[in-house]
Formats: sequence, structure tokens, C-alpha cells
Amino acid sequence: MPATSQPSELPTLATDVHVSYIQSLDTKKDELDYWLTEHLRLNGLYWGLTALHLLNRPDALPGQETIDFVLSCQHDNGGFGAAPGHDAHMLSTVSAVQILAMADGFDDLETKGKGKQQVGNYIANLQNRETGTFSGDEWGEEDTRFLYGALNALSLLGLLSLADVDKAVSYVVSCTNHDGGYGVRPGAESHSGQIFTCVATLAIAQRLDLVDKEKLGRWLSERQVPCGGLNGRPEKQEDVCYSWWVLSSLKIIDLVHWIDREALIRFILSCQDKESGGISDRPNNRVDVWHTCFGLAGLSLLGYPDMETVDPVYCMPKPVIKRILG
Amino acid sequence: MASHGVARASGPRTEEQRKLDLDKIDRYRSLEDQVRQKVSFHRTICALSMHPASPGLSRRAHQLDGPGRANESTPQAANQSFGDETFQLTSKLLRINPEYYTVWNVRRRCLISGLLSGPLPGSSPSKALPSSSATDTPTTSSDASLASSSKKTQQLPDSQTTGNNGTTPESWAGDLDTIKSELAFTIPLLMEFPKCYWIWEYRLWILDQAIERLPVSTSRRIWEEELGLVSKMLHRDTRNFHAWGYRRHVVTKLESSTLNGSSMTEPEFAYTTSKINADLSNFSAWHSRSQLIPRLLNERKSDQAARKDFLEKELNLVREGLNVGPEDQSLWFYHQYLITNILETPGDQTIAPELTDEERKAYIESEIIEIKDLLEDYEDIKWIYEALLEYTLAIHKLTKTAPSSQQDLSSWLGKLRTLDPMRSGRWSDLEKQWSQA
Repeated sequence: MPATSQPSELPTLATDVHVSYIQSLDTKKDELDYWLTEHLRLNGLYWGLTALHLLNRPDALPGQETIDFVLSCQHDNGGFGAAPGHDAHMLSTVSAVQILAMADGFDDLETKGKGKQQVGNYIANLQNRETGTFSGDEWGEEDTRFLYGALNALSLLGLLSLADVDKAVSYVVSCTNHDGGYGVRPGAESHSGQIFTCVATLAIAQRLDLVDKEKLGRWLSERQVPCGGLNGRPEKQEDVCYSWWVLSSLKIIDLVHWIDREALIRFILSCQDKESGGISDRPNNRVDVWHTCFGLAGLSLLGYPDMETVDPVYCMPKPVIKRILG
Repeated sequence: MASHGVARASGPRTEEQRKLDLDKIDRYRSLEDQVRQKVSFHRTICALSMHPASPGLSRRAHQLDGPGRANESTPQAANQSFGDETFQLTSKLLRINPEYYTVWNVRRRCLISGLLSGPLPGSSPSKALPSSSATDTPTTSSDASLASSSKKTQQLPDSQTTGNNGTTPESWAGDLDTIKSELAFTIPLLMEFPKCYWIWEYRLWILDQAIERLPVSTSRRIWEEELGLVSKMLHRDTRNFHAWGYRRHVVTKLESSTLNGSSMTEPEFAYTTSKINADLSNFSAWHSRSQLIPRLLNERKSDQAARKDFLEKELNLVREGLNVGPEDQSLWFYHQYLITNILETPGDQTIAPELTDEERKAYIESEIIEIKDLLEDYEDIKWIYEALLEYTLAIHKLTKTAPSSQQDLSSWLGKLRTLDPMRSGRWSDLEKQWSQA
């Protein structure tokens, strides 16, 4: 076991190169990966914009262009595809709503897009009214990721009443496991990503009383491995993205102090590419905007200095959530 | 966009590498353009036919009980957009990029629009062509039923193989070939991209087509073969949670009346035993085991004695594991699961629900003795001290007595703090909890 919590100076966060890295993402059109990841374009924009907000550089991407691009991905049925020409899907629709919330684009959604109500209808119509869970699109895949996304976006739109929240809550409860965690569907193994979606759903529904906090906290705290990083399931490798899924869940149940804060900060910072910007899954691996976003969100949640505060339920800047939800 | 385990590049690309990349991009985008042109042709035709000036057509387009909306309202568009040529293009594109969910959807539309014949009579009417970018129709309240209807399937009586409903084997033989060929198409992709959600989901969709379009005995054989695939995937990666989830789904379907099934709890339980014997650290297998136990005992109609016997066997199994791998958290989580079972009676989920408090106490005490024995060989494993502390406190809670030996508790807590300083906040909370008890 390494010595922990030694009061020594923390490595620094390379804010400026991270900002440049995110700004450069849309210029890499001569790289095959840029095209192979088009199905994640709106998600990528959400990750990038969230990262910039947390770095206190919300204006580093052009606001109106961002809003216009998001609206160009919308379908008549209200849903959003990942990019123009891509089918509508819950995952890109949730990202679209989150981006519009951050970029203050809800008015544009009404005047230039199909309007909030239509987005809300698209999402609510994907709820399985028998079980309470949600599909990703009309082809029927169900997953607690979609359920969380639905409640996240509907609540931001002020349209939570379109969904059967009680049924959604019962479904989440049916995904509880004996170790206190939650799986992707009832009976599925606990997984930190899925735990975040379920716990955050219960937070939005104001039903955190249904969580066995002690058991869940115990399982989550055991995700921290000797190098300081967190893994997603027992006996798996650490990965920066779990700095979000595990940590935010611990935050929501008020047990962040059950892991070693400084060791995790060091791990996340050690995954930075300090020359070209961005954060990777593990030290010296290739960076991407997903790990950059969740690494920064983790740092923000741990109270790293000079960062915007992140909301643990929405993975968005707290002031934005406050502006929208009051 | 989410790279995992890929080393950082050592330097910028050479000009030659860049040219190679640009060539690849050209080829990829030209393929993509071809698919988009096909689909957008369909969109244009649909938009014309759904013009508000022709309300009849528009209304018909929203009826979701036909075999295929595009077939019904715009056969020409469907044939040209979702015909064989588009289908072949999707194969090429998906082999390069299986994450491209819209292209999987185009492929589904190709199958529904003609490459598969209609569902067998008596099958559920769920195979209307769903709306999305390809049709861009306004949302209707029926979209929700559509979303869930893709999972609704009805049992086809086997009599159809004999043509009682006017269906001859020939009428579905083509669909059988198509379904088999689609399943074969996804195999190399799954091997290369075992964590890609879209491939797994497409495969399940194809399997649902088998239920809708083939006689029960035929589709059952197809579903049964999935167990072989998933075992192979779990052999390659014993923890792939997509594969474990897929296995649960396949088993549930094979057990259902839709496929004339019956319970598979016993063989599935045996499967978890074999996975655990191969690797004690397989948390996924332990989890699956814990999920199967309540059903297993109910189906065996185990009486209280049989249940106690079962509980003891499970305790022995996990203890044998702990004797060789006491640092393994999978084993400890399973051990905690058994202890929770002894302490609590959460309805029909309990292994042995009728234990008296005396029996509960005796079980836990005996476990504590066994765990103390581990200390002879392993002094520096924090899990041992955590279990001793937690189970001792549990006994006091059960018997509503104050801990008799504060000394033990303090020394175990001290060990925890030394061996596991990362979770010191947790140990402090634990101390508070016990000092308040």
C-alpha cells in the first residue's frame, strides 16, 4: 500500500492546454477517427462543453454555432440524432438538452427548433409504461442509462410530469443487488456506471431514501485501488472515467470521505497529456474528450482549486443547474 | 472517442501516414455517402406522400399495424432505398464501423422492407417500419407502443410447419436463411468488438425476428445455439458484462412459453459453479449464482433442512476459496451476501428463512472462528479484520447486547487503519457507529 494523504504539493492541472485540446477537436477532419466517431458527435460536444465550463472557460466554444449545430441534429419527432443524418436516439437527445441548457439555448429550441414540448414527448414516448424503464430508440433496447437520461433531460426541460416517475423509481429499485449496487437491468451485476445512473435517477425523483447507503458506500469505496484510481467493478483495472461514476454516486449519498481524496486527485492528474492537452483512461495512454470530461468532473467534485463546481446528479456546472431548476 | 488502453502516440504523423489516413477517409466517406443517398431518396418520397394535402396517405402512414409502413405507403421508395444494394453497402460500412447505429437501423429497414418476407400468420403485428430519420414523421402517441412492441412476440404454433395455417415450409425457408446469415454476419464483429452495444442489440433483434417469422421448434434451435456463442465469449473474457447480460436474456427467452421452454435454473447454476471453479475471482459468476439461488431452492421445493444444508455448502465453498485467496473481494462480497441472508429475512429471497435467532448467532459465530483461523496464515489482509469487526457487531445487534470485548474490536480497527489507510474515513465512521451502539 502506498502512503496516502501526505501533505505534499499536488501536481498542477494544465488548464490552458486542455482548453486548446477541446477547441481543436472539431478541426481534426484529416483523421479517420474524426469520421468514425460521428455517431458520438453530440455526446462529444456535451463532454467538451462541460469540460470547458468546469475549467471556467465556458466561452471557449462559439455559443451560437454550438446551438445551431445542436438544432441541426433534431428530427421532426423532437428527438436528436448524433449528427445531421443520424437517427434520433435517447443518448444524443439527452446530450442535446444538456448542451442547450449550458449554452442557454432553450429559447432557440422554441423559435428555431421543434420546441421543448416535442423533445419531451419524444423522450416520454420511449418509456415502457408497463415496467417504467426506457428504450434508447424505437428498436427497443432497454438500459438504466436511458432511464436516467430520460429523467435528466425531462427535468431540465421542466417536463418531468410527462413520464411515469413512480414506475421509473420502482424499476430502478428492481435493479438493486445484494451488494447495494445496481445493474443495467434487473438481475444484472452491479456496475459503477449503472450505479450512477440509478442513484442519480433516484436523486432526481427525490427518492434517495430507497438507497442502502451503507452497503452501497462500502462497495463503491472498494473501487479505489492502490494507485489511487477507481475501477468500475471488483477485480477490474482502474480508469479515469470511474472518477466520475463512482465518485458522483458517493457524493450523492454523502460518503466521498470513504475514499482517499488526494490519491484520486493525483491519479487523475497523472493521466493528463500536459503537452497536447486532454486526459486519458490511465497514465500515458491516448487522451479523448470523454476521459477529459469525466476526469475534470472528478477533480471538480473533489474540490480541486479554481474549478467550477460540478453537479453530481447532472454532470453539469452547478450554476447552470441552479439557473434552470432554481 | 473513448479510447481505452491505447498508448499515447510518440509523435506527429508523417506526411505519408497522413496521406494514407486521407485515403481511408475518402473511401469511408464515399461509402457513407452512398448509403445516405439511398436513404435520403426514401425520405424525399415519403415526405411527398405524407404531404398534408393527402391526409389519407398521411393517416395510413401512421397506422402501425401493417407489415411495413414503407411497403404500404411508398413501395417504390422502400424498394429503391432499402433494397439489396443498400443492404450490401451496410455490410461494408458496418465491418469498418460497427458503432454506426444509424446504419444498423438502415440494415433493419432493409430486412423489414423486403429481404425478409412478412411475419407468419398469427404473429404479432409489431413489425411496422419505425419512424426515424429515414422517414422523419411527426411523433405520435403510438411511438411508445411501437418502442415496446418490438419486444412483444407471440408464440407460433408448431402446426404451421405442417401448413395448417396455409403456411408451407418454403414460405419461411428464405427467412431462415436470412436470419442465419445475419447471425453469421455479426460473429466476427463481436469477436473484434466484444463491448459494442449496437452489435449485441442487433443480434437480439434478429433473434426476435426468428421468433416472429419461424415455427417455434426452428426458432428454439436458433436461440439454443446462442448459448454456445455466449459461452465462447465468456471464455475469452470471463467478466464481459454484455455477454453475461446477453446470457441472462437468452436463458429467459429459452425458458419462456414463447419457445416452449422450461426452467434452466439447474444448468445455469451448474454453469456458475464451473466458472467459479475455473477462476475464484469471477465476481460476475458469483453474482449470477446469488441471483439463481432463490429460484433454485424454490424449484427444488427445498424444505428447511435442505435449505440449511444448502447454506452450509455455500459457506464451505466460499470459505475454501478464502483459504487460498483471502485478498479476493469477489469472495468476500459473496460471503457477506450469505451472512446477510443469515441475519435478515427479506421474504422469498432468503436461503433459509426460518432460522431462530439462536441458530443465526451460531452460524455467525462459527464463521468468525473460521475467519480467525485465516489470521494464522494471513496477517496483513484487511478484509479479514473488516469481516471480524462487522460480523461481531452484527451478533451484538442481533442479540441486542453490548460488545463484550472492546479490546478485540479496537485492535481490528487499528489493523484496518494501518492496512487500509485509503478508506480511513470509513473506519472512523465505523468506530462512531460502534461507540454509539
